[in-house]
Amino acid sequence: VKRLKELLNSLLVPLLAIVTAIIIGGIVIAVVGGNPFAAYLGLAQGAFGSAKALSETAVWATPYIFAGLAVALAFKGGLFNIGGEGQLAVGAVVSALIGYALPEWLHTSIPWFIHLPLTVGLGVLGGAIWGAIPGALKAYTGGHEVINTIMMNYIALNLTSFLLNGPMRDPNPLNLSAKTPDIAVSARIPPIFPGLRVHWGFVLALLMSVFIWWLLQKTTLGFEIRTVGANPDAAKYAGINVKWNIILTMGISGALAGLAGVIEVTALNYRHELGFSLGYGFDAIAIALLGKNNPYGVVLAAILFGAMRNGGTRMQFLTQIPVDIISVIQALILLFVAADAIIRFIYRIRPGEERLVLTRGWGG
Amino acid sequence: MYKKLSFVIAVIMIAAMILAACGTSTSGEVTAADCGKEGVFCVGLVTDVGKVDDKSFNQTAWEGVQLAKTNGDVDWIQYIETVDSKDYDKNISTFADGGYNAIVTVGFNLTEPTYAAAMKYPNVKFIGIDQFLSKDDTHPDWPLANLVSISYNEDQSAFLVGALGAMMSKTHKLGAVCGTDAVPPVWRYGEGYKAGAAYADAKMGTTTEVTVVYHSDVGFDKTFTDPTWGADTANSMIDKGADVIFGCGGKTGNGAVDAAANRGVYAIGVDTDQYYTLPEAAARMLSSAMKPETEPVAAVLKLTADGNFPAGGIYMGPSGYAPYHDLASEVPANVDSEMQAIQKGLNDGSIKTDVPPVKPSE
Repeated sequence: VKRLKELLNSLLVPLLAIVTAIIIGGIVIAVVGGNPFAAYLGLAQGAFGSAKALSETAVWATPYIFAGLAVALAFKGGLFNIGGEGQLAVGAVVSALIGYALPEWLHTSIPWFIHLPLTVGLGVLGGAIWGAIPGALKAYTGGHEVINTIMMNYIALNLTSFLLNGPMRDPNPLNLSAKTPDIAVSARIPPIFPGLRVHWGFVLALLMSVFIWWLLQKTTLGFEIRTVGANPDAAKYAGINVKWNIILTMGISGALAGLAGVIEVTALNYRHELGFSLGYGFDAIAIALLGKNNPYGVVLAAILFGAMRNGGTRMQFLTQIPVDIISVIQALILLFVAADAIIRFIYRIRPGEERLVLTRGWGG
Repeated sequence: MYKKLSFVIAVIMIAAMILAACGTSTSGEVTAADCGKEGVFCVGLVTDVGKVDDKSFNQTAWEGVQLAKTNGDVDWIQYIETVDSKDYDKNISTFADGGYNAIVTVGFNLTEPTYAAAMKYPNVKFIGIDQFLSKDDTHPDWPLANLVSISYNEDQSAFLVGALGAMMSKTHKLGAVCGTDAVPPVWRYGEGYKAGAAYADAKMGTTTEVTVVYHSDVGFDKTFTDPTWGADTANSMIDKGADVIFGCGGKTGNGAVDAAANRGVYAIGVDTDQYYTLPEAAARMLSSAMKPETEPVAAVLKLTADGNFPAGGIYMGPSGYAPYHDLASEVPANVDSEMQAIQKGLNDGSIKTDVPPVKPSE
């Protein structure tokens, strides 16, 4: 009973943040001349109203779960990974390359049980390296990961732009856009049900959240990550290799973000093109915050964000209310979760838990 | 706390109900629920990633759909703004599954999703804008009976402004700053511009030097969004004596037009009458090579609603040049009458630009 109460307590602020954001969003809709009830009904129908709607919500939620887990894990280790966007792009580019080019290089088709793991594995490795570099910079030079992950984003996005316009561009003369050729069938993750786009990547995302929870709560490594996050000085005194731990945390975080890109390529788009993944890496920060950095919380937050993004289409179709309202609601949720004092003030909730340390200053 | 919350919710619900009551339409009007019924013609528009008020392609297409509604040719119109490219299929099928009769898809990026949807929904008519298709390995069934692309003779529009530039230039040097020539319409703009200047030379006995520079040195993500490069290139052309600058290629071309206006030479816009979309350059805006979308979209919708859907895969939109606006007093009467003669000649086919539809491969 005590644990249940604790659980409810920890859920209270995020839930009230969502409710408050939806209410204010409703007022905004009413002010611009729409009917908030019709709008939210459309949103719910579009997100959950049919098998197809559920499938599309899962499709949207999948990259959010992976990227949200990436940010949450880094937060647990006291690191603020803003580089999800870049790590995601690297994962996507590498897996697209292995997906379409490996059979060409070997001049033969490859069975899926070799090609698919290679495609996914190398893509994840790419994301991991992209995350570990700012980790190493932090560990050995004290360079702040917030700055360095943002820098790495620019490098990754411009590198992607170069590769997709140059060496990796689909050579088909009819192709006018910056995209790779389609990946081989042997590198594709299939849909779960015929006719619906929801794919096994979604299941993998759910399993991954269990794995990350287990990693953080039940293993020595997870304990070390959390200890370094809570107090690096104490961790060092306790004999934990703090430098190595920072690199490892950023590496795992980068691998998870990379996996978000890998799954989009191997399970959904079957190629990588510019313009895909606009802001998943940044939405992931909001999702990690809303999920309180708890892997299961991240899954719930990711499904909520995915549902809003997906349901927005039907909302606009039924009511012609601009889809921007979704961004307004998401921003409000983020505002209320980050500045939870507002929610605590409105609903008179006493601060119960200790504050979460999200990141530290220079060299901390 | 819960008391407070329920009070807040109650207030909002009441406010919303009042607002909703105000907005309720009178009965008898067509609503989305009527789509799919006999005698009700519904049109949906799917934007490329972007908004219907983007002052560009999405907006002018939507204005065309609205025009068809105002003209009474269609009964109900609705749009969906795409927020992510992975939603193209979903957004199109939202309309198709909703019983809509015709779906307009805007932009090159929707070429494949539109083709796929046209195959999947044979009873729905699809109108693609800026989408180039031909019969090939990936589209063996083209042209489809329910899919039409609105296309333009960009070379004719550019021919007109090229001739105008050649007749108005005092230095007899023209410049054009364009996006990449790998996109056929852009290449047709550039070539048409040259051809128009050559035509005017032959008519007027002048010799005009035309420089067309394509921004082909960068990727597709940059070529249309590089106003700094556009301005630099235009400035170097003006330094070399050019006194007419044609900007053809999104923001890159806009940068060139702005630079030309700043330097006080003649600026020529592209696609729409940019006198309105680039107000900071309006005072020096001589004309624009037009590719009007609004009227052709409305025209195709009228044909579709009347049961005369234009088959054959391609519907040719009109070409033309924008009015001189603030510079009308500087355009001599003989130049203006020559321009009208060229427009007429292009329309009736007596003048040809001799620009092929796509760049011949080297």
